[in-house]
Amino acid sequence: MTLVGLAARNVLRNKFRAALTILGVAVAVLTFMMLRTVVAAWNVGADYAVKDRLFTRHKITFVMTLPKRYITDLRAAPHVKVATFSNWFGGKDPRHDKEFFATLAVDSPTYFQVFDEYAVQPDTMKAWLEDPQGALVGDVLAKKLGWKVGDKVNLESGIFADKPEWEFHITGFYEAKAKSADRSTFLFHWEYLNKNIATRRQDQIGWMAARIDSPGRTADVGLALDKVFEEREVQTLSQDEHAFQTSFLAGFSAVLAAIDIVSVVILAIMMLVLGNTIAMGARERTNEYGVLKAIGFTGGHIAVFVLAEAMLIALLGGLLGVALAYPFVEKGIGRWLEENMGGFFPYFRIDTSVTVLALLLSLALGAAAAAIPAIRASRLRVVDALRRVA
Amino acid sequence: MIPLQYNVRSLAVRKTTTVATALGIGLVVFVLSSSMMLAAGIKKTLGVSGRPDTAIVLRKGSDAELGSTIDAAEVNRILGAPGVLRDARDKPVGAGEVVVVGAMEKLGANGVTNVQLRGVTDAVKDLRPEMRIVEGRPARPGSDEVLVGKRIKGRFKGVDLGQSFDLRKNRPAQVVGVFEAGGSSYESEIWVDLDALRAAYAREGGVSSVRVRLASAASFDTFKAAMEGDKAYGYLTLRESDYFEKQSEGTSLFINAMGTLVSVFFAIGAMIGAMITMYAAVANRQREIGTLRALGFSRTSILVSFLLESVLLALLGGAVGAGASLAMGLVKFSMLNFASWSEIVFAFEPTPRIILTALAFAGTMGLFGGFFPAVRAARVSPIMAMRG
Repeated sequence: MTLVGLAARNVLRNKFRAALTILGVAVAVLTFMMLRTVVAAWNVGADYAVKDRLFTRHKITFVMTLPKRYITDLRAAPHVKVATFSNWFGGKDPRHDKEFFATLAVDSPTYFQVFDEYAVQPDTMKAWLEDPQGALVGDVLAKKLGWKVGDKVNLESGIFADKPEWEFHITGFYEAKAKSADRSTFLFHWEYLNKNIATRRQDQIGWMAARIDSPGRTADVGLALDKVFEEREVQTLSQDEHAFQTSFLAGFSAVLAAIDIVSVVILAIMMLVLGNTIAMGARERTNEYGVLKAIGFTGGHIAVFVLAEAMLIALLGGLLGVALAYPFVEKGIGRWLEENMGGFFPYFRIDTSVTVLALLLSLALGAAAAAIPAIRASRLRVVDALRRVA
Repeated sequence: MIPLQYNVRSLAVRKTTTVATALGIGLVVFVLSSSMMLAAGIKKTLGVSGRPDTAIVLRKGSDAELGSTIDAAEVNRILGAPGVLRDARDKPVGAGEVVVVGAMEKLGANGVTNVQLRGVTDAVKDLRPEMRIVEGRPARPGSDEVLVGKRIKGRFKGVDLGQSFDLRKNRPAQVVGVFEAGGSSYESEIWVDLDALRAAYAREGGVSSVRVRLASAASFDTFKAAMEGDKAYGYLTLRESDYFEKQSEGTSLFINAMGTLVSVFFAIGAMIGAMITMYAAVANRQREIGTLRALGFSRTSILVSFLLESVLLALLGGAVGAGASLAMGLVKFSMLNFASWSEIVFAFEPTPRIILTALAFAGTMGLFGGFFPAVRAARVSPIMAMRG
């Protein structure tokens, strides 16, 4: 029998304790994976940012608008392939007061060229373009609010109160092709908005987005653009999509830091539980270690026994934790979050790298937790070990 | 009844195991009580912001001041409504204010974040009697001088006494004073002269919201009826306290949900740790337990004794964790409020109730973790145990 085989048999010596410890490790691994997934889901927008997409908004704040003619300058700028614009409408369905979803008035012909992670079937697109009050909505939102194609929907807007309620016709659904795509957005024609608001607010756009011909140039194109607008009446801030998403996340940096800390704390708890079990086992077996040493095993062998036992328990716990985490996160809270907080968490799934990290960490922490008992056991003198009463 | 001294000494003998288990429980309690303190801090910050005898009028369809617009021409009509408090000169107490967000560079951290700017008039002090200038001086009306809230002072570039930042291009705002407002979310705002802010942000001719002091808290219904009776205007009228409660809903719900979920999982982990420790204690003390039984102690008193030991162990950890979490009271936590899209600085708010809840939680963990081991201890047969 190999040394590691012997260590494995040791795990089964106190089956009940081993089972409890494995369960403890599994719970810690499950929690760790859940927390890491929260962080990853939060960053999903930045991680999946399209590198050749440039956003331009008002320099001071996103609540202020740009003159619509800026889009002509953007489209004429070098390296810009296609550009679009949109306005935040701030719409709300008065019959579903609590539901938050994004409502955007978009430049219909170009929007889906710039945001190609959303796809629309050709006949749906045709129907939408033909209906000035037409709206395209995400499938998750439509399901939640019970909207079907052909429905009339009235929305209120706090920003554009020119009409107490704006009437829209649901002409179809868009499809999300990327993980970062929000499936709860409400899109309608910018022209419809522009025609129905006070003259002084007409021909203003919220922000512009463009695709650049090479991803490496995005930042430079942005800088050049801001320089052009610097001398105009409204100054702009252009960022590539990654920077745009990151600056949004900056507001939540404290929360993310807290989650990071908490995910380390759970690992510490796991180490304490595991270390405790191993230390207890090693103490109870002091006599045996004495015997092993007396018949010629070295301190190194004893240390391997203790370490291998700890790492085996940790690995089993890690595997159980991973097995529990998938159904729990993806079928449970993940689905709930995607449906109810799609704006924040469009994609709440476990990333493979998190799983690998969790397994590696449980192995490493198993070894770390066993370090002190292993060193102690390996340094035992035969006489002391045999003399000691457990 | 076996004296408690026995349990205390038993815990002291197995120092390493006791410390490891108690620390595990301590960490759980620390996380639980910190998250409860943060949720309480959010509630408090946004809770003290609102007064029940003040009403706020928004455009129907908007949830927050940021997304709401009301024509300047309508402000006087709103102030003239019944139920509004009038001052000594028979002038209604209230004002229209503009709320916008500005991008500010964070100091000491990467990135730009949104800070709420409020365009205010002279009435600002009548609407918020708790507001006080703590550094510098009041801003001169009609100028580009601004006041900054105590909590965001020095957190962003240019936002400190004597410094300046750009309201828009070539329009610097001078910070001349720092104010406090009873720990409310106003302390995370920058207050600018109403007309200066409207000019800088091209908001002439409109305000975001209208606040009025009510003649009494009871006259809210009269005021609301007058406001919302006229459907043509489409107002949303709320008590200021209700408005801020709604504002805190999303954020504190999120923190509470996260905190509870994490604590429950942590608790399971730590409970398993306590269970392992207590099982080992029972197994190692077979002989002792047998002796106790032989001396005449009943099964019940053995059960109670081991349960007490487990609870004691957990409370020890709980006390450490709760004590450590008190230190979080010194930490300021800044985060984006979901409702206003701007950053608000919160404090961890320790209350006796949170500490007691955390300790009770630890005790419960000890009770559940120790239950099965204690049952096993109670079942030990004295003869078998003493024979070894």
